[in-house]
Parts: sequence; C-alpha cells; structure tokens
Amino acid sequence: MLNEQSSDAFNYLYDNYSGAIYTIINQIVPDKDTASDVMQEVFVNIWRKVNTYDAAKGRLFTWMLNIARNASIDKVRSKGYRDNQKNQPMTENESSGMAMSTNPMVNDVGLKKVLTKLNEEHRKLIDLSYFQGFTHEEIAKLMGIPLGTVKTRIRTAIIQLRKMIG
Amino acid sequence: MNIKEYISSGVVEGYVLGLLTAQERFEFEQYCEAYPELKEARTAFELALEKQAMENSIIPHAELRQKIASKIFDENKAAPVIPIQTTTPGKFNWARLVAAACIVLLAGSIWWNMNLKNENDKLKENNVAMQNDLKNSQDSIAQIMAMANHIQKEGMKMVGLNGTANSPRSFATVYWDTASHDVYLLVNNLPKPASDEQYQLWALLKTNNQLQTIDLGMLQLSQKPLQVYKMTNAREAQAFAITLEKKDGNPDPNLQKIYVMSNL
Repeated sequence: MLNEQSSDAFNYLYDNYSGAIYTIINQIVPDKDTASDVMQEVFVNIWRKVNTYDAAKGRLFTWMLNIARNASIDKVRSKGYRDNQKNQPMTENESSGMAMSTNPMVNDVGLKKVLTKLNEEHRKLIDLSYFQGFTHEEIAKLMGIPLGTVKTRIRTAIIQLRKMIG
Repeated sequence: MNIKEYISSGVVEGYVLGLLTAQERFEFEQYCEAYPELKEARTAFELALEKQAMENSIIPHAELRQKIASKIFDENKAAPVIPIQTTTPGKFNWARLVAAACIVLLAGSIWWNMNLKNENDKLKENNVAMQNDLKNSQDSIAQIMAMANHIQKEGMKMVGLNGTANSPRSFATVYWDTASHDVYLLVNNLPKPASDEQYQLWALLKTNNQLQTIDLGMLQLSQKPLQVYKMTNAREAQAFAITLEKKDGNPDPNLQKIYVMSNL
C-alpha cells in the first residue's frame, strides 16, 4: 500500500515541520495528551488538504501553521475539552488568565518566546487574539475597552512583535 | 493608496498570522496582486516567522510519528487472516469443538469490530470533509459579501462596458473609486481568448479631439465567475475599454479589437 513517493513527501513534511507545528499546538492546548491528539488530526488534515494549498497566498509553512493554530483553538473551545478540564484540579497558571502549558518549555520557544519581550498589555492582546483566538469584539468586551481601541492596540502590538522577530 | 503606509500598518503580519477579518484579508490578497512590494514584505515576514518557529522547537515523541504515518498510510489495510484449527475426524473431542467454536466466535467478533470501526472512521472522515466544505463555502460567501460591501462604498463609480461589433453579447463592469482611484473589474461575459492572447483593460481620455489611452493591466487568464479583480489605479478616465491583445499585453491598444467599451 505504501507508495514510495508519498512516503517521501510525508517524511519531508514531518522532518521539516513537525517540531514547529507541535510547538504551536502545545502553546495553545495546555493538556499534553490532547495536544498529541490535535497533532495527529492536524497532520492527517494537512496531508489530505495539501492539494488545496495555494502558493500565491503564502508559504507552505504559513498555511500549515494556520491549520494547526485553528485546530488547536477549536479543540480548546470545544465542549468536550472544556467539560474535561472542569474535572481537573486548578493550576496556579489559570488564575493569571493566560493560557499556559503544563510543559514549562513551551513558553520559552517560538512565538511565545518573542511575546516575553513585549510589554504587559501588548502581550495580553497577542495572547488573546493569536493564542486564544478571540475576535476583536470579544476582546473589547473582555477588557472593557472600545472596539476601535482594541483594533489600533493590536495593530501596534503586531508592529512591536514584527520588530522583535526581525 | 499609499502602499508604504499600508505595508507598515501591521496588516502584513496580521494577514500571515491569520488575524484579519474576511474583508481585510480579501483586500490584502487583491493588493498583493497589484503591488509586488507588498508580496515581498509578506514573504519576508513569513520567512522570519518560520525561522523563529523552527528555532528550539519542541520535538514530538517518536511514537507520534509512527501513529500519524499509520493513520495516513494504513487506512485501507485488509483485515488480518486468523487461522482456524480444524478438528480431526474420528474421535469426538468436546474440548476441541468448544475451542474451535470459541476461535470462530472470536474471529467473527474481531471481523465485526473491524467493520464497525471502518464504518465509524468513514463516517468521521465524511464529517470532517463536510465541515471543510461548509467552511470553504462560508469563506467564499464572506469574500463575496466583503467585495459587495466594498463596491457599494461611497464615491464608488460603476461603469458598464457594452459589447462592440466584435462581440455584441459581451459585457463587463468597472468599479472606480473616485477617492482612492482604485479600479476593480467584473467580467460578466467575454469570449475565451486563444492561448496566445489576453484581454487588456484601458482608460480612455479625449482631450482636444486627441484620444489618449492608459494601460490599466491585463485580465487574468482564468477569471472566476462573480469575482471582482483589482486593476491598476486610474487617476483620470472618461471611459474604459477592453481589447484583445497578445499574451502579456501591448503598450498601446489594438483599437480594431475592442471587445467592450463604455460611452466616451
């Protein structure tokens, strides 16, 4: 069954991107077992949908990263996941309102590492919008500031982030 | 539009990180086709992000690779054959008969389970496929809605281009933003050009009986229905026309081959 060409393609994708993809999933999904499940879903999905990837709209990695981010956010927001988390003991991280992983390493790599260099407000805005997938409207409600202000501040936060990434 | 300001507004990063609304995303993609420097800025950020994401990334457990590979490659693997012992004829052996029956039952149960599992997997797969289809449709609708809102903006001028003697049934619509000078084109009906030909859009200006033509760019070879394409900006125009030219266009229009044109 195992076609040599597709096996090569799989090895290429996995060898090059699995680390970065796994990192972003773990940065959004704090529970390690669930993160592994999402990783499986994401890779199978990438494999099935790779023919819909449109190079005119961006690089392959960007496309894969967005699939992983969306799947992770969907998982964290799913009813099954939330119900399950209610039965877990509270960790100290949850009280801070930031999505932290049970694996302390995940905050020291990739995009999260860059976040630590931003100021408190910018960090929170990027965390809510990028890592937790809240819309601008939801963030405005959550933080009690006008929608227009949220939009401009997120733009500013993004520009700061851009400078850090270089 | 000032493209430099647009590039440094954070929209490039927002697009790559997936933080834009459907409308903003749509505009960004349109501008990317019109402004190569925007596309370059996008690629530069993508590369920087990629590098950042690759550095010190967490390596997934080796068994995860195995699991994923088997999910991808072993989906259609046949059910394993389970050997069934046959009883030797002659002496009647109850124990053997019971053992054989158990094995048959076990094999049957395994086979049944695998069937159920396959069916379940197929249903799950269909479900995922349907959800993807739904999401794609929603995205398409959002895109069309975004464009519809965009072309209904205040100051947007709509110009109908009627078919000429070359092609009486053809029709196209130009939306011209009189404030930003952006030009959008909707092709309602144009015959399919030969493979070495391409349509080109022009702005026409008549001053002192002198006809001036301004190149507004090539039409994409395959135009999607209902899709509005961004063309080159036009500061001035009294009319618009589309001519059939050689592939990649000409500096001046072939006026014999005007297919559609608005009133001058």
